[in-house]
Parts: sequence; structure tokens; C-alpha cells
Amino acid sequence: MSTDGGRGGLAKGVVFDAILLAYLLVLATVAAYGPSPEQMLMLGRNSFVGLILLAASATAALALRRAGVATVGSVVFEKGAAPKSGELRPWYRSFWAWQLLLVLGATFYVGARETEMSLYELTDEAGFRGATNLFRGIFSPNFAILPKAVLAIIETVYIAFMATLIAVPVAFVLSFTAAKNIMSRHPATFAFYVALRTALNVSRSVEPLIWAIIFSVWVGIGPFAGMLALMIHSIASLAKQYSEIVECVEDGPIEGIQSTGASFIQTIWFAIVPQIVLPYISFTIYRWDINVRMATVIGMVGGGGIGTILYQYQGQAMWPEVGCLVVVIAAVVWLMDTASAYIREAIK
Amino acid sequence: MTSETLFSLRAVNKVYDGGVHALKDISFEVHKGEFLVVIGLSGSGKSTLLRCMNALHRPTSGEICYRGRDIAAATSREAREIRQRVAMIFQHFNLVPRTTVLKNVLTGALGRTGTARSLVGMFADEERKRAMRFLDLLGIADKARHRADQLSGGQQQRVAIARALTQEPEVLLADEPVASLDPATCHTIMDYLQKVNRELGITIVCNLHFLSLVRQYASRVVALRAGELVFDGQPADIDEAWFRRIYGEEAKEVHVN
Ligand SMILES: Nc1ncnc2c1ncn2[C@@H]1O[C@H](COP(=O)(O)OP(=O)(O)OP(=O)(O)O)[C@@H](O)[C@H]1O
Ligand SMILES: [Mg+2]
Repeated sequence: MSTDGGRGGLAKGVVFDAILLAYLLVLATVAAYGPSPEQMLMLGRNSFVGLILLAASATAALALRRAGVATVGSVVFEKGAAPKSGELRPWYRSFWAWQLLLVLGATFYVGARETEMSLYELTDEAGFRGATNLFRGIFSPNFAILPKAVLAIIETVYIAFMATLIAVPVAFVLSFTAAKNIMSRHPATFAFYVALRTALNVSRSVEPLIWAIIFSVWVGIGPFAGMLALMIHSIASLAKQYSEIVECVEDGPIEGIQSTGASFIQTIWFAIVPQIVLPYISFTIYRWDINVRMATVIGMVGGGGIGTILYQYQGQAMWPEVGCLVVVIAAVVWLMDTASAYIREAIK
Repeated sequence: MTSETLFSLRAVNKVYDGGVHALKDISFEVHKGEFLVVIGLSGSGKSTLLRCMNALHRPTSGEICYRGRDIAAATSREAREIRQRVAMIFQHFNLVPRTTVLKNVLTGALGRTGTARSLVGMFADEERKRAMRFLDLLGIADKARHRADQLSGGQQQRVAIARALTQEPEVLLADEPVASLDPATCHTIMDYLQKVNRELGITIVCNLHFLSLVRQYASRVVALRAGELVFDGQPADIDEAWFRRIYGEEAKEVHVN
């Protein structure tokens, strides 16, 4: 077990170092060549160069590893791998510290250029005037549209509520089949577990924003599309969180119930469920809370609710109206946040 | 012994996936009404033996017959039926936390209750009465509505015994039932097991660490050493020489009062 983990850590450490090194080499190559925008887009040739650099880095990383140098990769992935010499060296005399500094420094420099950071833009007079206008509008909200805003946020809260309500039973059932401790007893169930985990991870890595775009085309713009988007995301997230709770249950009660001659379903219901209800409820409330916030954003891409009218007003630069919506959203989000925190605290 | 044979083990071997050979060619019989105690050093295979007899583990080879049915060859449905008749209690009680004592005891009736009925909590009235009767027998009826994880160790073990009794078992396997209890409570629990054995006629197979308890409660003893059966006889027959053979040359006897 320990040797196994050590070997795995070793391989991961070398790969990690190779990637860091290749990253630096790519940056250096770009800096040295100064390729034109057209050249930057030549995928075939560039990935070829990238691969060569990666190969070179891998060789270098392996060499460093052989020489026993404490690189970032070895420090991160080989826990407990004691440094071979000079255990108590100051950080500035260690290889990994400089490696890390170099990577961070280079990243910051390139990042500043990529995000077009500019103090000039921030202090530009015309732009500044626009911002002042916006703030003046937002800070003097037009409460004439308050009834409309309240109706819209009610829609948003219901979108979030329905998405959570439908997701809970589905995620509940999925969570047992996505829990390693339950599914690893038999090769067939284990294969199912791996497939389900992968499917959940994939659907979770698709942002609800993308789901909303998909469903607004599928079922048309409106609250139904938003609800479906949040529901898919909630199922994937809750199933993952739930199954992690299932993986942490104590084995003793399971054995105890099994020893009475209980069936598989009875064992889950009587030995596992009592151990997981409270954390389940807690995660569910938190998910609803998150869904209310997400429903607002999703509304902006066609998911209905307050997000949709927020999008309309900001498109027309009607800042006082936007201000009113912001107040309503902030109030509801704050309320949900506080309430869910209280409830979760109470049932801990 | 003239009474009928409940268990007969023949050349039972158990090799775990990791390669540990936990039981080696174990053969012995368990007769109705016995209070059989299994002794042996830590790691000698006592728990493995009991888990095999409850069909929680499968032996790698050999035969474990319960009333003539081979547990090793049982389907999972048959294994569940056998578990109903062969109840088990554990060193760490293995009660369900966040659940009341009564509900914990009622889980002993799961084997007889249909899955759908049990999921909605529809246990028959007679099951509830039976559960309460056993809680009463073990002197913890007043705790029925308490959460099981809020009881003391000795009380939890009594709940576990009540759960096992609710199964209406013929045999009760006890895996070090008193190892995590203080000496006084330890005797209380052993006395209850004796009561179960004598008054309800339930056969008991019990793993124990302390020889003084063995002499006091056992009607017969088997000893394991590194997975092999090295002794099968009366508690009074375990003299100094046997003690050393079972526990090793360096061992000294410890007493529980
Ligand atoms: N689930 C398991 N997987 C692999 N090996 C196991 C498992 N359970 C027990 N073993 C091994 O089998 C051997 C016998 O273990 P067992 O628990 O039966 O001993 P024991 O006599 O009950 O010991 P103790 O008195 O400490 O409870 C030990 O070497 C143990 O490491
Ligand atoms: Mg044991």
C-alpha cells in the first residue's frame, strides 16, 4: 500500500514537473520568436512544437528526479518523501521555491498582457463618466417597477425550488449507486459505478449557463428552460455530494443490520439512511440557496425570472430600473442565505 | 453430548483477498444448548470464524453445515434465512446511530417483514410487543425511546442482545461482546448471555479474551492458534500447559473480577 502510493506519487510528481517546465519553455519560445497572430493560429505546427517542448521537459524532469532534486512536483505529490540532504535549508536555497517563483512570475506577466490590464482605461475620463452615470442610476432606484420586480423574483425562487425538488429524489437514488463502498463489492456493480460517476462528472462540468442555452433552444426561452438547466446541474451536484456522505458512513451498523438477515434494500434503509439524513437535508437546503442565485444569472441567457428583465433593462442602459432589481435580488439572496445558514446550523 | 448437532464444520479454510490464511482446516461441532466459548490470541481468527458461521463471510474451502445445510454453498437468499436463525452481536455493538432503541431492536424482525412493509415502518404489532418484551428482559425497557448512540456501552450491548433475540434465533454468535466494557458491566452482560442460554434455550458461541470469564460461563471451549484449532474440551481442562500452548510461552494470565 505505502510503496504503491509512493510510486504513484513519484509518477505524478514527474508529470507535474514536466508540465510546469513545458509551460515555461512555451512562454520562452513565444517571447523569443514573437510570432504574428496568423502564426499563433497554426494549430498543427504549434502543437508539434509544443509536443517537442513537452518531451524535452519530461526528459529534464526525469533527470531532476534521478538527481534527487526537490522539485515542486516531488514536494506536492510525494508526501513524506524526506528531503535527502540539508533538511533545514532556508526556502530561498531550495530548488522548488525558485521553480515556483519563476512559474508564478511568468504567469503574472503573461496574464497582465492577456487580460489587457491598463491603469489608463480605469482612469479614462469618458469611461469614468459612464460609470458615474451607472452608479448614480443604481443608487437612486426606480421603485415604480417594484411590483414587477417582486413578481419576477417570485418566479425565480420557484424556478430554483422546482429544480431542487425534482433533483432531490433522483439524486437520492443515484447517490447509492455512485458510492464506492456500496458498489465495489461486485465487478458488475463496480463497472456501473464508474460509468455513473463519469456521466455525473461530465454533466456537472457543463455549466448551468450552457444548459440554459441548450434548453432555451429546446423548450423555448422562459422559466421552464431555466428550471430544467438548474435541475440537471442540481442532480449531478447533489448526487456527488450525497454519495460522498454515503461513502463516509460507519460500517458497523451495516454489518449489524446485515447479520439479522435483512435484504440489501433493507440494509440501505435501516443502516445507512439514518446516518445520512441530516447531512442530506443540509446539502439540499444549501443547493436551493445556490439555485436561487444561479436562477438569476440563468435568467439573463433566457431562463426566465428576474434575470430576464434585468437583462432587458441593462441592455437599454435603464440604470434606475436596474438599481431596483439589484435591491430586490440582494434582499432575497441575503434572506435565503441567512435562513439556510440558520437551518443548517440548527440540524447539525 | 447426546443433544442434537446444530453446526458442524469440516475442514474449513478461509483465505482473505490479501492472502492472509485466517482459518486452517477447522473442524468441530456445536450442539444445541451449549455455551461454547472460542479463545485465542488477537489475530488468531476468532472473528473470522464467527462471521463465516453467520454467512457474512464465505469460507474459501470446507463445509459449514447449519442443521445439515451448507452455509458455504448457500444462495444469498438462503444465507439471509440462515442469518435470521443465527443471530450475532459485536464488540462495538453495531447499533444504528440517530435511531431509537426500539427501532434498533425492531430491525431484528427485518428478515420476517416484507421489504415494502419494513420501508414504511409497518412492523406487526406482535413484533413491537416482542421487541418490548426483550428490552424488558434485559432491563432497559425505560430506554426504548432514547437514541441508541446516547446510551452507555453496557446499555448498547443489551440493546444489541435484544435486537438479536428479536430475530427469534436458535443460535447467538457473540464476537467479543464485553471487550470494550469495564469489568463490572462485563459481568452484567455475561450474566444476561447466560440467562439467554439457560432460560430461552438459545445456543451461544462466544469469543472471549479472559480465561477467568471462560471458566465461569463456558460449558465448552475451543481454542484457535494462528488459524488452527488447538483445543476442544472443558474449561476446567485448560491447565498451565494448555494455556501456554494456546497463548504462547511468554503469556501470563490476567483476571477480571
Ligand atoms: N476483512 C479482512 N480482510 C483481510 N484480512 C482480514 C480481514 N479480517 C481479518 N483479517 C485477517 O485475518 C486474521 C484473523 O483476524 P480475526 O479478526 O479473525 O482475528 P481475531 O482472532 O478476531 O482477532 P481479535 O482478537 O484481535 O479480534 C488477521 O491476521 C487479520 O489481519
Ligand atoms: Mg476479533
